[in-house]
Amino acid sequence: MKKKCKIKSYIQAVATDLLFWIYLFSCIYYLFHNWTGFTASFLFIGLATVLVTALFLILHLSIGRKIFLSTRKKKRWYKTSWTYILIIGLVITFIVGINIVEVDFYKFFTKFQNAGGITSGIFDPSIIGYELSPESIQNLSDGDIPPDVLETLKGIQNRKYSTKKVFLSDIEKRLGTSTFNTCKSTILKAAVKNTDLLNTALTALAETIFLALLATVFAIPFAFILSFFAARNLMPKTWLGNIVYVVIRTVATIFRSIEAIVWAIIFSVWVGIGPFAGMLALMIHSIAALTKLYSEQIENIDSGPVEAIKATGASTLQTWIYAVIPQIISPFLAFTIYRWDINVRMATIVGFVGGGGIGLLLLQQQQLLRWHNVGLLIWLIAFVVWVMDMVSARVREKLIGM
Amino acid sequence: MKEIIKLTDLHKIYESGTHALKGINLTVNEGEFLILLGLSGSGKSTLLRCMNRLIEPTSGAIEIDDENVVTAKGKRLRKIRRHIGMIFQQFNLIKNLSARMNVLTGKLGYVSLWHALTFSMHKNDVAIALQNLQRVGLESFARNKARNLSGGQQQRVAIARALMQNPKVIFADEPVASLDPATADSVMRYLGELNKKDNITILCSLHFLSLARKYGSRVVALKDGKIVFDGTPKEIDKKKFKDIYGEDAEEVEIR
Repeated sequence: MKKKCKIKSYIQAVATDLLFWIYLFSCIYYLFHNWTGFTASFLFIGLATVLVTALFLILHLSIGRKIFLSTRKKKRWYKTSWTYILIIGLVITFIVGINIVEVDFYKFFTKFQNAGGITSGIFDPSIIGYELSPESIQNLSDGDIPPDVLETLKGIQNRKYSTKKVFLSDIEKRLGTSTFNTCKSTILKAAVKNTDLLNTALTALAETIFLALLATVFAIPFAFILSFFAARNLMPKTWLGNIVYVVIRTVATIFRSIEAIVWAIIFSVWVGIGPFAGMLALMIHSIAALTKLYSEQIENIDSGPVEAIKATGASTLQTWIYAVIPQIISPFLAFTIYRWDINVRMATIVGFVGGGGIGLLLLQQQQLLRWHNVGLLIWLIAFVVWVMDMVSARVREKLIGM
Repeated sequence: MKEIIKLTDLHKIYESGTHALKGINLTVNEGEFLILLGLSGSGKSTLLRCMNRLIEPTSGAIEIDDENVVTAKGKRLRKIRRHIGMIFQQFNLIKNLSARMNVLTGKLGYVSLWHALTFSMHKNDVAIALQNLQRVGLESFARNKARNLSGGQQQRVAIARALMQNPKVIFADEPVASLDPATADSVMRYLGELNKKDNITILCSLHFLSLARKYGSRVVALKDGKIVFDGTPKEIDKKKFKDIYGEDAEEVEIR
């Protein structure tokens, strides 16, 4: 028995060391390859790894030996230097990480002006839209603005939007910010105000909130029923009970590890781009997540009442209804509201890949480079998320404290 | 006198390997107030829970009111259980429900699922529940949530719940262990009253010898899963008490 243990831990030690050195050598090779173009065959690396592992194991420098074959004997200094090797490993990991992620702080500090459009959009969101119709440009006289600007304006109108409206942000882009600012007041005078964008944005926002709400509501019954079968303490300890438990838990975990955005891509192909696809994506993800949260809550209940109700001669279903549900109802509600809160946030992202709602609108405006409109949408999203977050926190506090 | 409980060579070995009951033979007559004594871990709780199959016994026979408990399954097990009231140390009420609703759950063994979901519409059941609450002196607390009641009140609600089952036997697993001495006595008084007036057989595990003397008609002591004493409360003298508790207690102190 003892000898078997020793062999087992020896194998574990060697395996750990082997993995560690393979990793370290791969990292070093990656760096050398990137910097000098040096190439070597994998056989060579493998051989080097095995040799180094063996050498270090014999020299008692190995990490695996430390973890699995630790002895209490006092060691000489060179036999405890596994810590240095570990530190070297961590440093190399960090360097490789910086290389892979292409960290470039120079860009971060010097290329800020690239984000000028969106930043100015955020600070000056277009709550009220301005547009120039072809007629209003015709009405602008030469005296009001420099002739070249007028020409440019007419050019825009003719080239791109012969019959449609011209947005202020398009004009700003075309003229350049400084020229635009000098004759802004004149252009504004001629422009027609409207709140089209605000209306559209609010509609899309409502769409987002409602699709998140529906996704949550539709997920509740599924998750509620599944969670009972995914709770260890409720499932009988027979093979059937175990299979049901393991299958539900595994499927829930897999579905949860696939991000809602991936589900949205699938469903936007399946049912077409729009809020319904977004709702389905969030629903699937919510079912999986809520099943896990719910069943963990069930596993946490006080088993006393369950025992007591069982002892009265109640059936299994009656026991669940009377001893389990009263204990879990308020944490369930709290989790559900939290989930709605999460879903509203995710609905924005899901919209980007065809899930409808304000995310889709944001994507469109961003692609048209209408930064002031993007600014408005960002503010609206931030506001809604903030409100949801606050409300759900309050409600959860009340429910848990009940 | 009728033999209501009959245990023959009852064993329980837990999955962990603990041999909790080592061949219990016990016969209880109708109307007895039997006190179970013994250290924690001596098998009292296991014995009580085996008798209504909250824990599956490993081997042996259990007969309660001429029904074979060990082989019973499904509906028959439910029928056996509904005549056995059970009272717990931690009261085990459903804390979010009212006292009245908690008492009504005692009826679950008798009714269908649909009936159970619409309890408050069955005037008859509600009336009986209120009557039972009255018996334990809590009729004015019927609408209070269980979590807002004191420990003694909760245990009395639990007694009313057991009464709702219309039981022939009540098992009480250290019913007063988490109560103060005065409250403990009042809870035991209610149990004693049920025993005398309703002729309900009571099996009650306890730690206080004084309460055992006051209310018990018979004492059975367990030690390491075996019965080491069976007699009347008066028969327990200092030596017998030491047999049941003494040596082990000393051992514990050494550790």
